[in-house]
Amino acid sequence: MKIAEGVEALEGLPVLYIKKLNAIVCSDLHLGYEGVMADRGTFLPKVNLRNIKKTIKKAIEMTKADRIIIDGDIKNEFSDVHVEEFNEFYEFTKFLREELKLKYIDLVKGNHDNFIDRYEKSSSIKLYRQEALMDGFLFFHGEELPKDKDAKFLVMGHLHPAIGIYNKLGIKEKLKCFLYGKTRDKREIIILPAMNYFAEGIDVAVGHLGENSPVFKKMLDVGPMEAICIGEGELLDFGKVSEIAAIGRR
Amino acid sequence: MITNYTKPFTKEESLSHLNIFIREWFEKKYKELTPPQKYSLKLISEQRNLLITAPTGSGKTFSAFITIMSELMDLSLKGRLEEKVYCIYVSPLRALNNDIYKNLSVPLQEIYSQMTLDISKVRVATRTGDTTTKERQQMLAHPPHILVTTPESLAILINSQRFSEHFRGLRYLIIDELHELANNKRGVHLSMSIERLAEMIGHDFVRIGLGATLSPLEDAARFLVGYKDNGEERDCYIVDATWDKKMEFMAMSPVSDIVNATDGVIEGSIYKMLNSIIKKNKTTLIFTNTRSGTERVVYNLMKSYKYNEESIAAHHGSLSRDMRLGVEEMLKKGELKCVVSSTSLELGIDIGYIDNVIQLGSPKSVARAVQRFGRSGHGFMDIARGETIVTNRDDLVECSVMLDAAKKRHLDRFQTPKNALDILSQHIVGMSQNKKWKLDEAYNVIRRSYPYHTLPRGDFMALINYLSGKYVGLESRRVYGKIWYDENEGTFGRRGKLTKLIYFLNLGAIPDDVAIDVFTTENKWIGNIEEEFMMRLKPGDVFVLGGHRYKFEYSRVMRCIVSDASGEIPTIPPWYSEQLPLTYELAIEIGRFREQLAKELAEYTKSRKLMSLISGKPKKEIDDIKILKDMPIDDNARNSIFRYFMEQLLYAKAIPNDHHMLIEKTKDKEQDRNYVIFHSLYGRRVNDALSRILAIYLGDRYETEIGINIVDNGFVIITESGIDIKKRDIDIFLKEMSTVNIREMLKENIKRTEMMKRRFRYCAARGFMVLRNYKGRKISVRRQQINAQLVFKAAEEIDPDFPIIKETYREIFDDVMDLPKAEDILRRMSKEEITYQLIETTVPSPFSHNMITFGEADIVMMKDRRKHIRELHKQVMSKIKKMF
Repeated sequence: MKIAEGVEALEGLPVLYIKKLNAIVCSDLHLGYEGVMADRGTFLPKVNLRNIKKTIKKAIEMTKADRIIIDGDIKNEFSDVHVEEFNEFYEFTKFLREELKLKYIDLVKGNHDNFIDRYEKSSSIKLYRQEALMDGFLFFHGEELPKDKDAKFLVMGHLHPAIGIYNKLGIKEKLKCFLYGKTRDKREIIILPAMNYFAEGIDVAVGHLGENSPVFKKMLDVGPMEAICIGEGELLDFGKVSEIAAIGRR
Repeated sequence: MITNYTKPFTKEESLSHLNIFIREWFEKKYKELTPPQKYSLKLISEQRNLLITAPTGSGKTFSAFITIMSELMDLSLKGRLEEKVYCIYVSPLRALNNDIYKNLSVPLQEIYSQMTLDISKVRVATRTGDTTTKERQQMLAHPPHILVTTPESLAILINSQRFSEHFRGLRYLIIDELHELANNKRGVHLSMSIERLAEMIGHDFVRIGLGATLSPLEDAARFLVGYKDNGEERDCYIVDATWDKKMEFMAMSPVSDIVNATDGVIEGSIYKMLNSIIKKNKTTLIFTNTRSGTERVVYNLMKSYKYNEESIAAHHGSLSRDMRLGVEEMLKKGELKCVVSSTSLELGIDIGYIDNVIQLGSPKSVARAVQRFGRSGHGFMDIARGETIVTNRDDLVECSVMLDAAKKRHLDRFQTPKNALDILSQHIVGMSQNKKWKLDEAYNVIRRSYPYHTLPRGDFMALINYLSGKYVGLESRRVYGKIWYDENEGTFGRRGKLTKLIYFLNLGAIPDDVAIDVFTTENKWIGNIEEEFMMRLKPGDVFVLGGHRYKFEYSRVMRCIVSDASGEIPTIPPWYSEQLPLTYELAIEIGRFREQLAKELAEYTKSRKLMSLISGKPKKEIDDIKILKDMPIDDNARNSIFRYFMEQLLYAKAIPNDHHMLIEKTKDKEQDRNYVIFHSLYGRRVNDALSRILAIYLGDRYETEIGINIVDNGFVIITESGIDIKKRDIDIFLKEMSTVNIREMLKENIKRTEMMKRRFRYCAARGFMVLRNYKGRKISVRRQQINAQLVFKAAEEIDPDFPIIKETYREIFDDVMDLPKAEDILRRMSKEEITYQLIETTVPSPFSHNMITFGEADIVMMKDRRKHIRELHKQVMSKIKKMF
């Protein structure tokens, strides 16, 4: 589905494609999550990396991109690099290089990506510590405001946006979504859904986004943004967040 | 073989085998044997497995112990009483354990005080979660000869390497309050512990089950004794002394015309009845079914009849333990005139002398009614007395039929959860800690237990694979695996140091529950609801909290988000999750009653005097109705039932019964929607499944959202006003349902509901997939819920039939709902063994009034509901009048 000129959300996937850069963009992978959780007594079957690999492989096949931009939170643990995180990070970057034969792997550091710098060289990725400006596109993770004031198109992650749907039999579905809209200073912005398998997402139609996010406090209103949800093998345009929120409270 | 034993032994036969000191003491203390003792003393001395059911206060617990105490006394006289446990007594309640401890210690002391011999004394001790470390250590050094414990503590003990040595000489195991265990997962857990214990010590022991009445007794006996390796059930004698105690009970209507009487009159009359019964008796026990009802009755009795805190008290699960103990103490001392309980006093804790039991509203099960009445009457010689006072017309019919069934000894059936994979996970982990097992060997032990007798090998292997961590890569099994498993050798055993700790800190079948905070969409805190209640909420449901009406919007992990709904009609009463569902068997009895009464009434519908019959007081006509004559009900009740059925018959020309379903289409003009009311009288658990299946089907067919309200007497399908459901739809539905896999269809539907999410947490916690305690740290319910949702997501991805997921569906379909029976009803409908007729009404027929106003069935709303029903009733009556 075309989102803006040269910017496309791939059908059924939480992945963006930017033509000018011949790059796919994704965010919030939280690799090693199951291992970290197991240490705390929650024994999650391991499915995250397997799923991410499947998704990215499909995205590359669809687009023939030679670049991947990871918009933050490739791993999960704040305080260190957990052994399972390292294992999965290693396996993942190897997969990108050797199996998918990607030329460029860019990682914009997110708030979970502490200490990842150690592995920049060995995994031949390019690391951006704050944000990355490429051909008018600004990639930043989203826990802090971007420094750049000129880029026309902003891409962020961090938020894990989703839309919750209920029906009268009490069924609740949560669909991950892209949020697309304009900042208060009229720049285009897209918020990426989380790649992580376990992240159900935050229901943006019912929450109080302003409270914790500087981005929503300072530069952006969620109401007028458009929610593009990821369904089974397709994307569903749900319209404006404010409209979805209104239906929810009928 | 299971044998019903009906011939009591003589006193001499019963006492002759007893130790001389015990016999002397016994004969001095008691003039004669109680009914259970007339069987138990002798049968236990013959080392028979034995199930005894009898009301509380019949001395059944003591009857099990006399022979055992006598045997231990013999041993000690011979100087052969060793440092080991000879008898284990298990009950579901700590409070009961404390009573038993006292009831055993006192006689032993009395006997020893008469003795001049210096012999080693029989020791009794309780072992529960409350037992201190010091006491535990003492027990390890000097084990009690009689160990009094709970299912959970027993499970810990059989995995305690040092203590379990003391079990090697075990001769007896007693399960008390069997009726409270055989129908749930706690009992399933206990059943496996017992089989493991027998296997561990290498020999069987005498098993004695004690309980209030339950049916079928043969299944209860199987639950108690289990099976041999060749598949035969172990021998067991059944002694049913339930009915040896005389019971007198009656269903009463507070007024002769429940519909037209005003609230003030009904309420006033109820309290007047209560007061006069309380005054006549020494101590009266009132059951109200809900906690809020309990508080209200106490409050009103105090207000209107000058009772005070010294004469009346409430007793229910929400009160603190100290408060409950205080009330129990007052009861034992005989200080209270009246105690009001929701359900908490059903269990056999010693509460002294109760001479009358009143049930306010239906207990929803025949067996439960009998159990409750059985709490009255001091000894087995006294008559158990009680009344059921009804609050509306359906309640009246239900209670009347219930008591009639009790009189005829028709009891509802209990069901044991079968092949519960979550509980079994725990036990496999526990077993692996004990020793190295061959797969076949373990599988055989498991199948000795009644709830697992039919366990498919595939399910067993799925658990072995899950627990050994086969679902993750080899390198992670060290962390994920809870048992070690050698595929080539076909053996499994202990894995990791942490597992033992996980086992001890997480075992048990009772899920952690927690109050859910209710917030408005504006983030304002309103109050709390129970998690079980939230599981039942569907978007759009309106309920009352703190006197205000709110509409359920959505839920967050531990939060329920609502919007203001003042002016809207509530759809679900706040006690919905608290009240037990009407049983299938009782529902069927009501259906049969409806059919018979309808037959008798048919002739009156032709009578000219009809109007006077239903508007006046047709005493003579009512007296002539055979089926009403013999029922244990008062005149008010007879009159009300008669009128209720006449009105239905005149207005709708149809009275639904157990093999004829009435489906009624009607409109709610005010709310601009259509109702299809299914008079499907099969109990709430069956209706829960039936209504959902139908709603899914109709929703698909009309591409619309269908709302449902589920009650005991039927269910209501709610659609937008434009949707008109026709007979053809239902015919096609029945036809299609005979070909589709209903279970799979429901699975798909239930997968994303709160019910699934929460129940999965219960099962995952029981199955050690989500821990409640890790390395000694308690994990909050909130965190458990989040973890459970994550685990569900992942487990579903790797295998939709993952054992814990499979168990969650089983629990929902078989324990929460009754899908097997619902499927059977559909099958019978499609074969026209159950017929149906579709009628259209402008005003709903009388039998549906309680159904469509169900959401208002709450204390705060009670007045509105009665008003609503009166209004509907007025409309019906004016239509009937126009017919003549």
